[in-house]
Amino acid sequence: MQYRHQIALARTLRHLFGAAMVLFLLAPLAAVVPLSFSAGSFLSYPLPGLSLRWYETVFLDGPWLATLKNSLIVGTVATIAATVLGTLAAYAFARRDLPMPTAVLGFLIAPMIVPPVISGLGMYFLLAWLGLTSTMAGVIVAHTVLAAPFVLITVTATLQGFDMSLLRAAASLGASPTKAFLTIVVPVITPGIVAGALFAFMTSFDEVVVTLFLAGPAQRTLPLKMFEGLRDNIEPSILAMATFLMVIAAMTLIVSVVLMKKNTRNLGGRLGRAMAETGE
Amino acid sequence: MAVAVAHGAEAAELRRAWHRSGQRRRLVSLLLVAPLFLYVLLAFMLPIGLVLYRAFENPELIEAFPETASALSGWDGGEGLPPDPVFATFARELADAPKRATAEAARRLNYEISGFRTLISSSARKIDSIEPAEPSAMRAALVALDERWGEPAYWHAMKRATPSYTPYYILAALDLRQDDRGDVVLAPEDQRTYVDILLRTLRIAAVVTLICLLLGFPLANLMATASGPFAVILMIAVMLPFWTSLLARTSAWIVLLQKEGLVNSLLARLGLIHAPLELIFNTTGLYIVMVHMMLPFMVLPLYATMKGIPPHFMKASASLGAHPLRGFLHVYLPMTLPGVGAGALLTFIVTVGYYITPSLVASAGDQMVGYFIAFFANTTINWGMASALGMVLLACVVVLYLLAARMVGIRQLAGLK
Amino acid sequence: MTRGNIVEFAGVQKSYDGRHLVIHDLDLGVRHGEFLTLLGASGSGKTTTLMMLAGFETPTRGHILMKGVPIEHLPPHRRGIGVVFQNYALFPHMSVAQNLAYPLKMRGDDRATIAARVEKFVHMVRLEGMEHRRPSELSGGQQQRVALARALVFEPDLVLMDEPLGALDKALREHMQDEIRQIHRELGVTVVYVTHDQSEALAMSDRIAIFQDGRIAQIAAPEELYERPASTFVAGFIGENNLLAGRADGSAADGRCRITLASGAEAMAALPHNRALPTAQVTLAVRPERLAIGRPAELLANRLRGRITDVTYLGDHLRAQVDIGGGQRMIVRKPVDQFPERPAIGAEILVGWREEDGLVFS
Repeated sequence: MQYRHQIALARTLRHLFGAAMVLFLLAPLAAVVPLSFSAGSFLSYPLPGLSLRWYETVFLDGPWLATLKNSLIVGTVATIAATVLGTLAAYAFARRDLPMPTAVLGFLIAPMIVPPVISGLGMYFLLAWLGLTSTMAGVIVAHTVLAAPFVLITVTATLQGFDMSLLRAAASLGASPTKAFLTIVVPVITPGIVAGALFAFMTSFDEVVVTLFLAGPAQRTLPLKMFEGLRDNIEPSILAMATFLMVIAAMTLIVSVVLMKKNTRNLGGRLGRAMAETGE
Repeated sequence: MAVAVAHGAEAAELRRAWHRSGQRRRLVSLLLVAPLFLYVLLAFMLPIGLVLYRAFENPELIEAFPETASALSGWDGGEGLPPDPVFATFARELADAPKRATAEAARRLNYEISGFRTLISSSARKIDSIEPAEPSAMRAALVALDERWGEPAYWHAMKRATPSYTPYYILAALDLRQDDRGDVVLAPEDQRTYVDILLRTLRIAAVVTLICLLLGFPLANLMATASGPFAVILMIAVMLPFWTSLLARTSAWIVLLQKEGLVNSLLARLGLIHAPLELIFNTTGLYIVMVHMMLPFMVLPLYATMKGIPPHFMKASASLGAHPLRGFLHVYLPMTLPGVGAGALLTFIVTVGYYITPSLVASAGDQMVGYFIAFFANTTINWGMASALGMVLLACVVVLYLLAARMVGIRQLAGLK
Repeated sequence: MTRGNIVEFAGVQKSYDGRHLVIHDLDLGVRHGEFLTLLGASGSGKTTTLMMLAGFETPTRGHILMKGVPIEHLPPHRRGIGVVFQNYALFPHMSVAQNLAYPLKMRGDDRATIAARVEKFVHMVRLEGMEHRRPSELSGGQQQRVALARALVFEPDLVLMDEPLGALDKALREHMQDEIRQIHRELGVTVVYVTHDQSEALAMSDRIAIFQDGRIAQIAAPEELYERPASTFVAGFIGENNLLAGRADGSAADGRCRITLASGAEAMAALPHNRALPTAQVTLAVRPERLAIGRPAELLANRLRGRITDVTYLGDHLRAQVDIGGGQRMIVRKPVDQFPERPAIGAEILVGWREEDGLVFS
């Protein structure tokens, strides 16, 4: 075979492989969407008819809505706390005079690395000791520590593109370090902070394992209810919720891509960089 | 150029002065990082420390039978039974101990010898019938209550369960135990399960990592070199599942792969199969779903590394007359190694600790360590065992994490380079 | 403290790692209202000195006094010193007007004052009509002017400039040199200017401090540095110079001494001010434009015979390389009309200079 033909064949195979991977990655998600609109309760095609009954079950029914509300409360509070803590710490790293920065970074991102089943067990011991199991506060404390590393990493990555001489300029113009941080750093890296906050929120919003250890009946979150539903008997209402969650994921994905593209100098994180690069 | 100061007193004084002059700035940085640092320390490291503590803590017997415990610790644990006063003390404490404490102690002793729980509870019920007697008579009275009190093995087990801290759980998590003489030996063959579970966990993680690497490497390469709408579609295909709820993805796979699921009905309609394939709630299902979950963890670091390799490197290799395959092996592949390292270690670390997805899509025989930690914690309420298994899993993860930190660096692992 | 000095460095040392000194025992006074340039190669310590004065770096040892008050521990935002940065450091999320208003806002000025002051300085740097643009919508030269205006708008007594023209092309750079000079004269502000470009330093400065390996090799007005360099380093650093190794015979009279060059030729040269008798191994420095060539050289005290090895035409000048034997070469630079005829490569020629134009260094 000629060299030219070999190259053409290789290119075709590569594209076929790519198409197969797209199918593998997206088809499962796409396949459940129609089922969630089924009029029947069987999870197979062909659909007996179309209806919104499963969405009614999910969004008009008390238990699902209560868990959604819990998830939103936990996610919002944990995201705010994680964003403040993570952004301040990221700024400390950007100042480049922390002793042992790599070791400190390794320590701070440990909650991302340690299996959640271990963290959940330990946090249960801690909260039981403090009498905080089955409380909203306990779940929020745990989610904050799990989400903070994502903010830290995203904002640190954004600050890598931040021109630190802007801070010197602000100081020379009379701004105290705090004022300079609030008037210069925060506005310039806002896209990165928001992207980090989105990461943090999605981390909390999707957390099951640790919550399983800590939450009582009154703190059940959406993923927890889905987990229990999947464990017992899968029915189309779960698929309606899954579809809803996919829509949320797609929306946050779009928002973060837009944020990253908005200021290409201030990209956040590997994911953000990756998204912005292909988006071009 | 900067010139080093001579050694000795002058150099030492310079070091001190240098340290003083930078202190203020460093202090501000420390104050900025302090809130998160302290928060992680208290809300994360302290809990991990508690898991470690719980893996060794052994309070049950001391709480239920404090004097028996101290008497047993005075016993040399040689062959034969403990001295008579131990029997007398135990009989008195068994009669007086609160029900709850007794039940806890019984459960703890049952880990040492199965059947010990019923021995304690039945003896506790009947103990009030024994007339108070001379210490020397109490032994006979107890043995009369249940003849197992006359067997040294039960007293050895009780002695092993008395110290405030015990290696029992961590040994059990490694399929080991202490015999009556206190030596560490292998557990009886029919009770050896945890090493198998650990090896299974590592094997599953290794296989998932390998499949992800085999699929992820060409996929990342395609993403890094593709252009136009195809590149965008590829990126969406990787990012959308990554952002989508883990449970939403798991439920999609269950619907897709179950017996009456889409894949089976499609294959049947095409006439490829006559009976539905078992695609889920077994090892096959576990691998399919886990690869879907983990692929982004592998692809994104690889993609970031490949995107950073300038295309002219391969062109230079080709212009020097190298065959594309040679160029790939000697130029491209070595440059992607940091990404391969970061992706593989990240995938392996995350997989090794997975619990939710396997518990939903795999059979009982395919469960990993995480499942048993949750099982001991939430179902049998055996905190010691849950903690000990947690420590074994944590040890694996820490070793991998340190390995990753050494080989590819924390920053690369976190995606900061 | 010397009267008339706005800033005084006293025994300042700086180390970034606690082992190596980038600044050794610096003593430097900056006079009120002067344009002082810190000139040196990269790593010579000039930027570190500027950063310590601005407050971005703390001296490891020693003191910095401003108007007699020690400021080495005063944070930069309380020093009231304007700084123009190499990369301008304009705030990307603010318009030109907002950039200029920033220091005034930090000082708590009222709206009307801010508006008036911003307008005045926008006018001064001729950026009318650009007030609402973002820095990214401006050219390099315009950004440079915004940076300049921002450092001056709060009317500091002292402005520091860290290679502010480094990013501009040559024509724009020369134009901006004039503008900065003009603003300096108009406002009477003291300027400390860092550059590695000696022609820029010569063109702009009242005084130049030449940095070498963390020390000041010489600080003086441009003419003095050029005419009376204090060391071989300065002689070679400022302008072009012929530096020839030779031996001094130990005799000296009337501030002159006799030197034997490598070829065996002898020359008389002036001793620098306040210099003791040179040691045996010396360096003779003669500026290329002070060398006479051909017939005019015959009248001069120092004469050498050489052979032309290279000629470069520079428009208004000719530059010739002359081999004077003993492995030594001299550069001669003369206006084209002062060359007797267009010299030919390989031609024998006479090179000469006045005794006072030859300086000798140990």
